[in-house]
Amino acid sequence: MNTIVDTKTANKPRQAATMQGETSAQGSDTPSLSIVMEDRKASRANPAKASAEKLNFWYGSNQALKNINLVIPEHQVTALIGPSGCGKSTFLRCFNRMHDLQADTKYEGAITLRPDNVNLVGPETDPIEVRMRIGMVFQKPNPFPKSVFENVAYGLRLRGINNKTELAERVEKALRGAAIWDEVKDRLNDSALALSGGQMQRVCISRALATEPEILLFDEPTSALDPIATAKIEELITELRQRVTVLIVTHNMQQAARVSDFTAFMYLGELVEVDATSKIFTNPAKKATEDYITGRYG
Amino acid sequence: MAATAHLTLEEIRKGLSWRKQLDKVFIAIGMALLFGCLAILAILFFDLVRDGSSRFGWDFFTSFPSRKAENAGILSAAVGTMLIMLVTALVALPVGVAAAIYLEEYAPKNWFTGIIEINVTNLAGVPSIIYGLLALGLFVYQFNFGQSVLTAGLTLALLILPIVIVATRESLRAAPKAIREAAYGLGATRWEVTKDHVLPYSTGGILTGLILGLSRAIGETAPIITIGALSFIAFLPSSPVTGEFPFLNFEWLMSEFTAMPIQMFNWVSRPDQAFQANAAAAGAILLGMTLAMNAVAIWIRYRFRKKISW
Amino acid sequence: MEADEQAAAAGVMPSKRAPGGAGSHAGSDPLEGHTSKTMDQSLTELRTHAVEMGGLVIDQVGTAVKALLDRDLRLAELVLSREPLVNGYELRLDRDTLTFIALQQPVASDLRATRAVARVALELERVGDESKKIARFAAKAGAASEHDPVVAVARYLRHMAALSTTMLRSAVRALDEASPELAREVLALDKELDAEFATAIRQLMSFVMEDHQFLRATIDTIFALKGLERIGDHAKNIAEQVLYMVEGERPGRKSA
Repeated sequence: MNTIVDTKTANKPRQAATMQGETSAQGSDTPSLSIVMEDRKASRANPAKASAEKLNFWYGSNQALKNINLVIPEHQVTALIGPSGCGKSTFLRCFNRMHDLQADTKYEGAITLRPDNVNLVGPETDPIEVRMRIGMVFQKPNPFPKSVFENVAYGLRLRGINNKTELAERVEKALRGAAIWDEVKDRLNDSALALSGGQMQRVCISRALATEPEILLFDEPTSALDPIATAKIEELITELRQRVTVLIVTHNMQQAARVSDFTAFMYLGELVEVDATSKIFTNPAKKATEDYITGRYG
Repeated sequence: MAATAHLTLEEIRKGLSWRKQLDKVFIAIGMALLFGCLAILAILFFDLVRDGSSRFGWDFFTSFPSRKAENAGILSAAVGTMLIMLVTALVALPVGVAAAIYLEEYAPKNWFTGIIEINVTNLAGVPSIIYGLLALGLFVYQFNFGQSVLTAGLTLALLILPIVIVATRESLRAAPKAIREAAYGLGATRWEVTKDHVLPYSTGGILTGLILGLSRAIGETAPIITIGALSFIAFLPSSPVTGEFPFLNFEWLMSEFTAMPIQMFNWVSRPDQAFQANAAAAGAILLGMTLAMNAVAIWIRYRFRKKISW
Repeated sequence: MEADEQAAAAGVMPSKRAPGGAGSHAGSDPLEGHTSKTMDQSLTELRTHAVEMGGLVIDQVGTAVKALLDRDLRLAELVLSREPLVNGYELRLDRDTLTFIALQQPVASDLRATRAVARVALELERVGDESKKIARFAAKAGAASEHDPVVAVARYLRHMAALSTTMLRSAVRALDEASPELAREVLALDKELDAEFATAIRQLMSFVMEDHQFLRATIDTIFALKGLERIGDHAKNIAEQVLYMVEGERPGRKSA
């Protein structure tokens, strides 16, 4: 009985050695199960890029974060989800000390950045220094009222890079990194405000990427955008993990499911559960997480 | 009486016509008042122009004051006013803007800063003659600047400082928080954020505030009388720009001066009726200058608003 | 990867899909082209694994029948040893389709494709079970003799095996290529398979009426024939899933 039938577009070189059923039976050992069951998902073997340890935070007398312990693995996308007021944006903004711009805020505990073990929220750490290593993309696209080029170059100029060729090179690299080079390469000197919402947000992403941050923070980056722009940016975020570590806050759970490797669920200032995204969205460990995800919350 | 909120179309229409009437009444009252005020201003202006019409001409602008009304002109007064305005602007702008930046961006928000803020706004209401007295004691005698253009400029600068500060603060506040956040997020220091983003955004508002301040200062008489502006100046301060190195000359700062309001006041006080026409003409010109400055302010604001849109 | 070898051996290779970028629909797979490459890849992987599983199962069927006809104990044991692999595939596809739905929220054609893959995996797993039963029969059958019921219906067995594997192959290819034409071919072949089965049973009936000795073996042979007929039914179900995936409607099934 000949089971050989030629099918279209065979791409494996092995196809040339087509075998009859029995020959393959003679030659091979029983294939092991491990091949079939191999897990293609990102492994937790990635080292930590940052870890929050016993982090507490107060706005005045109001405690917004309670004893958060969370590891952010390197070159992975970690998503923070939770209902309004759960503290996810507050937590995110601790990473680049944005709270320091307001009066009467207090940090306690640590966010340790590896590998040099700097405490990002420590009083001895300069917030400007922190912001030079950690980048941020905001909810509403906020390009400066300058040209596209100047927007992306601003961070570089702050760092003392003023040489025209070098700037041009780095700006192009950043714009390519945000998958928007082709759309703006002929419009570098036009105002960034003339772009569409999705394009502006990608320019903001390039602006943050230009300075090659170690962690890139996204604060609900697509909540002001239409679905197509959102899809492009989600695709971009999944690609970015090769270059940076990503921490994203989103109130859209499905976005967290699509985009992240790890998801952390927060509620009332506390970290309830954190695990691989595939586990959280198929079988979370805590009932609170399950209730929130399935929409049984509140 | 129907207790429901639901109305028939009839009832809606009846009630609506009454409400619309009220609307129209208010519009009418508003317009009447507005045009009333404008009319008064217009009448004043035309009155001045008519009274002084006999004097308008190139001669009026280029002659010094003289004992004969026909020959008296506003040259020294006009030049004096312009030089004073120059000094006022050059002093008020940096000081006012810097103070506003400090108060808005840098000062910690505590009770002490609150007191400073209240006082700054109150200063705008201080009678201008007080500034004159202050200037007399401080600039004229203590610092020995004498009765000069410099003193007048400094005095008026102090006078309009609150206007500039408040206008600048309002503009700084109007700069969107999102832009600041973006700049801070990239690692900018507070000064870099202010210099690179907030100030450029606020420039329109700041300049507008400055020009409004100047247009008030241009007409201030009391303080410059107090510091001793003379009214019969038959010479001009030396030119700021000379033909030889270093091309800038500061002697004019220390020279005695006169200003438009002073000249007007002087002419009006003369018993000779002919000088009334001079005064009227000068008044019209002064009013014209003020209106022109306001127009420039509006134009600047318009231009800046168009360029930067959020 | 060895499962690929099985697929190659069974003559079913997952078609090489053009790397789908956003909007590059022309010519290549209609189920690709999402803006999200992760979604493209995940969906493609699901279908690829289903096709690989298909290749493995097709080979199982052929090998099991050959083992029976040639009284080859070794082949029978090969089939039995590979059965856990088949189950492994089903488990994995079951898990992966669920995870895919949870993480990527597919809708419309993507959702139907996911569902199709999950059900196809189940059908293939059942085909694997049928092959296992045939192989077990082959393992305990002794040497062939002249009055062997298996020998009596050997040509039917052979033919039915060929038919059912052809149906499976076409069904799996239909899934791979999202081809409704191939799916309909499978549906058409089912009638032939049923007819062959009916003839084989009649043959067996006359055989057993002549000779009562090999009753047990005859019963097992009937089960083997029935198994092959069921395999054809499973192939038909797979084809129906493909039609549902592509066209959005389940053909033929009349609801109550």
